[in-house]
Amino acid sequence: MDLSEKEIILKIKQGEIDYFAFIVKKYSTLIYRHIGTKLKKKEDIEDLVQNVFISFYKSIDNFDHAKPIKPYLYQIVKNELKMFYRSRKPTLSLKEEIVIETKDESVFVEEDLEVLNGEEKQMLLKIGEGYSYEEIAKKFKKPLNTVKSIIRRARIKTKRNYEKT
Amino acid sequence: MKKLEEKIIKRIYGLETKKTTIYIVSRFFLGLILLFSIILSSLSVFDLLNEQHSFDLFNFFQDGFEVTKKYFFSNLYNFYQELPQPLTYILLTSIIILLVLLVLIIKNSNKIKNKLISLYKFYKNK
Repeated sequence: MDLSEKEIILKIKQGEIDYFAFIVKKYSTLIYRHIGTKLKKKEDIEDLVQNVFISFYKSIDNFDHAKPIKPYLYQIVKNELKMFYRSRKPTLSLKEEIVIETKDESVFVEEDLEVLNGEEKQMLLKIGEGYSYEEIAKKFKKPLNTVKSIIRRARIKTKRNYEKT
Repeated sequence: MKKLEEKIIKRIYGLETKKTTIYIVSRFFLGLILLFSIILSSLSVFDLLNEQHSFDLFNFFQDGFEVTKKYFFSNLYNFYQELPQPLTYILLTSIIILLVLLVLIIKNSNKIKNKLISLYKFYKNK
């Protein structure tokens, strides 16, 4: 059957889904080889090839039939690979000790703010509230570099005090 | 590679079977609910109007063209005011939604017909 890709897409859009087999037959080897260059496991490659064609089928109603299929398929491959790598990314569960440690840290910051003078304390608190150096400089009407050095000094003071205790 | 192609096509048909079934069943039940609501609300409206003798307002049609011309709009307005408003709105809304649904079904009928033929061919040759 000599049908152009455009005609095939139009037919699939009209509900003649058996024409999707032409697309699968034409591009499956190409997509398989392309994914094969990125992945090693045969099962993973096959799964991804299947997902690519299923994604393409699902979005075929929105696909512009005037455009070529190949670049669109490659774009799907790219997205599928991204999702694949993301799903295989090793994750570590947060250990209980880490949570406790974080809690302790927040306690020491509050206690050790007492060693700071009023200005240093206020600026450090503003940093904790999420203000940027520029915003703090504007608020306290001081040059940016002065603010930076005050905050740095305040941090060193609190750190020293924490180490002492 | 042929096995993989077959797997893909099989999954596509599985997906399409599910999608088409949901489409047909949902449209069927939605149509049925709307039809039921139209019948029920129109019967209620009719009964209420009959009870109020509101249809007597249209008796003036028998009194000749001049009388009809003179009282047509005022009688029509009186009849409108005697209509049970909430039920009438339900009836009208249901009719509009049913009409929209019918237009959409007619518009998509060719696509659904083609899909059903493709699915039939696939499962027959399986």
